[in-house]
Amino acid sequence: MDELDLLKKDWNKKSDSTKISAKEIYAMLHKKSSSIVKTLFYISIGELVFWILINVLPYFFSQAYNNQIDLVYSDKNVLTLINVFSYSIILIFVYLLFKAHKSISVTDNAKKLMESILKTRKIIKYYVLYNLIVASIAMLMGLYFGIKFTPEVSDKLADASSTELFIIYGVCFLMTAIFVLCFWLFYKLLYGLLLKRLNRNYKELKELEV
Amino acid sequence: MNKELEHNFVELLEKHQNIVHKVCRLYTNNYDAHNDLFQEITIQLWKAYPKFRGDAKFSTWMYRVGLNTAITLYRKSKRTINTQDFDGVAFKIKADYYDDTEEQQLKILYQAVHQLNDIEKALVFLYLEDKDYREISETLGISEVNARVKMNRIKTKLKTILNP
Repeated sequence: MDELDLLKKDWNKKSDSTKISAKEIYAMLHKKSSSIVKTLFYISIGELVFWILINVLPYFFSQAYNNQIDLVYSDKNVLTLINVFSYSIILIFVYLLFKAHKSISVTDNAKKLMESILKTRKIIKYYVLYNLIVASIAMLMGLYFGIKFTPEVSDKLADASSTELFIIYGVCFLMTAIFVLCFWLFYKLLYGLLLKRLNRNYKELKELEV
Repeated sequence: MNKELEHNFVELLEKHQNIVHKVCRLYTNNYDAHNDLFQEITIQLWKAYPKFRGDAKFSTWMYRVGLNTAITLYRKSKRTINTQDFDGVAFKIKADYYDDTEEQQLKILYQAVHQLNDIEKALVFLYLEDKDYREISETLGISEVNARVKMNRIKTKLKTILNP
């Protein structure tokens, strides 16, 4: 006899010793879920808040920062334009994420479900990528303008030799690169751990199709 | 969510809970993990319940949600990979069915099934539940042909695990 048929014969005979009462089920309904989707959603909300705070906090707490900004953006319209642009991008991502999150339905078939979870993940990935690019551009520009518009520093720089200049800009560049790399590694680790099993299962299903 | 809906749901789940227990039995191998997964599936069922229109049988719908939860949503995977402590759960076989060699064989079989991956377990589960290939393919989102091919591969895989 086939091994599985032997198993099948036994499978339905088993009466489960663990019987959960209606009372216990009621209690379970009000407990928290520990699903990947939920965790993904919380993490992405956390990311949004984090990046928004990074953008907004210095504005409120640092007078020097504000002065600097006034210096750099003598034209206020440019600043407003940049802000409107960056916040609308954040809003677009929030909307996409929300939509993707909504479309995850546990009653779909397994493959579709995994696809929609991975799609959600992709949106977060693009959002992170966008942030890293913007952050590195902002950092480089900030350093450049910071140096240019701070009289003490720029005076010193004017006297510096070209090798010294080269080293200073090189260090700036390197710091930005390290910063971006750290973030990237952090995300890689975070999502890698979270989605390892899902990715494996999805691949398994995918392989069936070829 | 209103009380009546909740009441109906609890009643249905209590009646059909065996399905969830069976999913847990395949995907976990200790008491705590079993209960964790049971709870997670219950929560997912409850969340999806308002959308349950009754066009499928409640039990069929439970298969889907239960397996999906086990395959995709449940992330405490550490507990499910370890097959070493499987003996501890010891599937009890009723006294009237007692047969030393068959009992032994079944025990080894269950251990072998536990070594399969999540997708393979889902297929085995549906197979054990007497689902036809059409239903298996619909639940997993693959074609019927693929389901058949995969099932045959699993049978071979089990054979090699059993007779190395």
